[in-house]
Amino acid sequence: MEFGFTTAAYVVAAVLFILSLGGLSGQESAKRAVWYGIVGMGLAVFATLIGPGSGLWLLSLLLIAGGGAIGVYVAQRVQMTEMPQLVAAMHSLVGLAAVFVGFNAHFEIKNVAEVMAIVDSAKDADLSDLGAFAKLIAKKTGAELAILHVELFLGVFIGAITFTGSVVAYGKLAGKVTSAATKLPGGHMLNAGAAALSFICLIWYTSSGGFFPLFLMTLAALFIGYHLIMGIGGADMPVVVSMLNSYSGWAAAAIGFSLGNDLLIVVGALVGSSGAILSYIMCKAMNRHFVSVILGGFGGPQGEQMAVEGEQIAIEADGVAAALNDADSVIIIPGYGMAVAQAQQSVSELVRKLRAAGKNVRFAIHPVAGRLPGHMNVLLAEAKVPYDIVMEMDEINDDFPETDVAIVIGSNDIVNPAAQDDPNSPIAGMPVLECWKAKQVFVSKRGQGTGYSGIENPLFFKENTRMFYGDAKASLDKLLPMIE
Amino acid sequence: MKIGTPKEIFDGEARVAMTPDSARQLQKLGYDCAIESGAGAAAGFSDATYEEAGVEVLKTAAALWKASDIIAKVRQPDATELKRLTKDKTLISFFNPAGNEEGMEAAKSKGANVIAMEMVPRISRAQKMDALSSMANIAGYRAVIEAGNNFGRFFTGQVTAAGKVPPAKVLVVGAGVAGLAAIGTSTSLGAITLAFDVRPEVAEQVESMGAEFVYLDFEDEQQDGAATGGYASVQSDEFREAQLAKFRELAPEVDIVITTALIPNREAPELWTKDMVEMMKPGSVIVDLAAEKGGNCKLTVADKKIVTDNGVTIIGYTDFPSRMAAQSSTLYATNIRHMMTDLTPEKDGQINHDMEDDVIRGATVTHQGEITFPPPPPKVQAIAVQKKPEVKELTPEEKRAKEAAEFKAQTKSQVTLLAVGGVLTLLVGLIAPASFMQHFIVFVLAVFVGFQVIWGVAHSLHTPLMAVTNAISSIIILGALMQIGSGSFLVILLAGLSVFMAGINIFGGFLVTRRMLAMFQKS
Repeated sequence: MEFGFTTAAYVVAAVLFILSLGGLSGQESAKRAVWYGIVGMGLAVFATLIGPGSGLWLLSLLLIAGGGAIGVYVAQRVQMTEMPQLVAAMHSLVGLAAVFVGFNAHFEIKNVAEVMAIVDSAKDADLSDLGAFAKLIAKKTGAELAILHVELFLGVFIGAITFTGSVVAYGKLAGKVTSAATKLPGGHMLNAGAAALSFICLIWYTSSGGFFPLFLMTLAALFIGYHLIMGIGGADMPVVVSMLNSYSGWAAAAIGFSLGNDLLIVVGALVGSSGAILSYIMCKAMNRHFVSVILGGFGGPQGEQMAVEGEQIAIEADGVAAALNDADSVIIIPGYGMAVAQAQQSVSELVRKLRAAGKNVRFAIHPVAGRLPGHMNVLLAEAKVPYDIVMEMDEINDDFPETDVAIVIGSNDIVNPAAQDDPNSPIAGMPVLECWKAKQVFVSKRGQGTGYSGIENPLFFKENTRMFYGDAKASLDKLLPMIE
Repeated sequence: MKIGTPKEIFDGEARVAMTPDSARQLQKLGYDCAIESGAGAAAGFSDATYEEAGVEVLKTAAALWKASDIIAKVRQPDATELKRLTKDKTLISFFNPAGNEEGMEAAKSKGANVIAMEMVPRISRAQKMDALSSMANIAGYRAVIEAGNNFGRFFTGQVTAAGKVPPAKVLVVGAGVAGLAAIGTSTSLGAITLAFDVRPEVAEQVESMGAEFVYLDFEDEQQDGAATGGYASVQSDEFREAQLAKFRELAPEVDIVITTALIPNREAPELWTKDMVEMMKPGSVIVDLAAEKGGNCKLTVADKKIVTDNGVTIIGYTDFPSRMAAQSSTLYATNIRHMMTDLTPEKDGQINHDMEDDVIRGATVTHQGEITFPPPPPKVQAIAVQKKPEVKELTPEEKRAKEAAEFKAQTKSQVTLLAVGGVLTLLVGLIAPASFMQHFIVFVLAVFVGFQVIWGVAHSLHTPLMAVTNAISSIIILGALMQIGSGSFLVILLAGLSVFMAGINIFGGFLVTRRMLAMFQKS
């Protein structure tokens, strides 16, 4: 009876989660969609608490409340520019939770086995003091137990990778770990070795059922997660974050299998496929293969890169202001530099002033601008830039030739013409915003230097490009009073 | 064999079909040359210069016709001349076969071979003997000169001490050979030159000559000029209306109009109507190169220059090439000489009338007692086919075919994927117990739903999507909740930690998402 209710609640929750993800197709419906998610989650937790998870429910509630308080505090305090770090940190929590739950499942199996060994026949009576999950295990046959082992093993494996991977990603995004791609000597051989070790542990574990192989594998997986993400450069972070997101989903699904919980499976699969698609979209936007992103860093240049000739011509704020005052159409291309300098408010103010003067101002967002899928959109939204003037690359790329001024704020690789002109460039073939086709281009940049990927950008040397050096926020604040 | 050129009988015709230069070349082909006394006088070639070039000068036309095996002349032969044709004589001349039934009959009955110069096909190989083009070139040039002669102002704009002179505005209608020649002459004299043609593909040629092409606001399938041998063809009524409207708009501003629009074997189309003439400024000049075929302007009087009531001069001369006889004779004689070169592949002074040859076959109107006009279409396409626009508008059938092919490919890849997936699932099902398969079905379906749903997520909402998925991935809390009631302390500890962490995630994730979404706003 109780369990029937739980299952029904799970079905409703699953539907709500699907609606919640589907609702994100538009800005307006998204606001409703979040509520679906919240209600779904509340329903699922409630149904579990009064159903199979009723043991120690008070402690559970207390823990949820405690965790929730921290969650609320963090969510309210976090800066929008810190969003990538926050998401990465949260992924690590899910990963760690998956590892713990996996371990628990293992202990339960052992407990049940011990109890079963003592009392062989009369199950229900003796098992009543065990948890709901244990009752489930007790009914399993040998083959099912073997599969259970594999599922559990996978859950722990993916969870562990997600955990350390997310911690490293968090460190990189928060600037606590160097964002450059670093590898231990041995490179991918170490990863492969750790993976092989894990596989051996899997065979060992399924045959023996002991804790040691599981533990050994966990260590190996933790190492893989750490080393894999350390080897991926800062520019690839959008892919990494969405990939970890995907992993946390798959870990949940694997755990769901081992616990025999369909809702876990459904939600895990939803999250897993969502992250996978996001990774795919990001990779496509960079014209790179998922595998080559995961294996880390940009591959070495295949040949001599085109030498860049000319010099970078600097310009002061008054020059930029004069050009902006004369312009009819302006396109702004924000990048990670805008996020770093916290310049989105100044950008928004600039846009407001330009629009008040009757100019056509739009934003061009490259799919991998920033460190998180959709990062720029969130920052601009925070600064109250209307979302209908924020365009995707495909929508706006053809408009550059008719544009008077393009302003590049803290982006580099996504506006690099070498991607189209130089077949030897590491980013050759990556779709880029063709801002150099605008009549005039201003690049707001801290100094002469290459971007994350360390690639020289010929855009900065073009005849119609002027470099507006300095911190993006300081530069824009200098510029603002000069705009009429 | 002997090639002879008589004096042109047509009144006012100053051209001659053989010059001393061309005669020298013909002799190199093995021919003897003869000319009627005084034939080249009007074009500036005296009998003495011919004799110097080794040409036999014959006193009378009759003697010349009699002595020559091949007669080369300019104008269409009249009845007297046709009578002088005999069997095995070859006549090379303009012949107007489409409008000269009697002439062809006469030539046929005499058994003579006639090569009509206007019938030379318009293919690259035959350009050297294309007399129509060489004459049109002269006509175009001369039209501008005649216009200038009758126009009271400069062509070019000047700022002089005595005042500012605006440049003349010239409109050339029809950008064929004559039109292009007129454009070239007009622009080099310094006038602002506009040009119009019904074939939009010549716009590039027009612009290369320095004129501005007048485009019509007309959306219709324009005919590909290549299909009609490079000549204009008859246009639809709507097109004509759009064209006339454009001309009416231009009429008050242009000073000189040169019309060159001719459609083969038809009366010239009326392009410059009476009201347009009335709209023009006094002193303006119209040169109608189509006067012979009725004129592109109906006020035109053939072979006359008239002045309308509002002071517009209309020139209807039909003999522009003849007015530049020295030049036109040189070019025409060269065309004839090239024709003879093709007729004499062996260079032995004997005609080899090869009816298999596209050019010779096309130009021959009577051959060995038979009328061979009109010729079959040439085997080689006339001119380069107009370049198709890069993105071709697909016809509905093509579109459907393409869609069907795409659909097929899609179906194929989908079916392959499904088959592979299905086989794999079945393999798993063979070894896995039923309880696992139940969950597996749920899993596969959920992945499927996930893929379907996530594709629809807006790009700008990817960060909120990640936050939401992050929040709901803390569904792992269910597992921890189920385990927390277990007896073992270690299990309770780990499960408790999991619940705690998932709790952070649930609240943090949803709250952040809501914060982000609340920021998105429309302008």
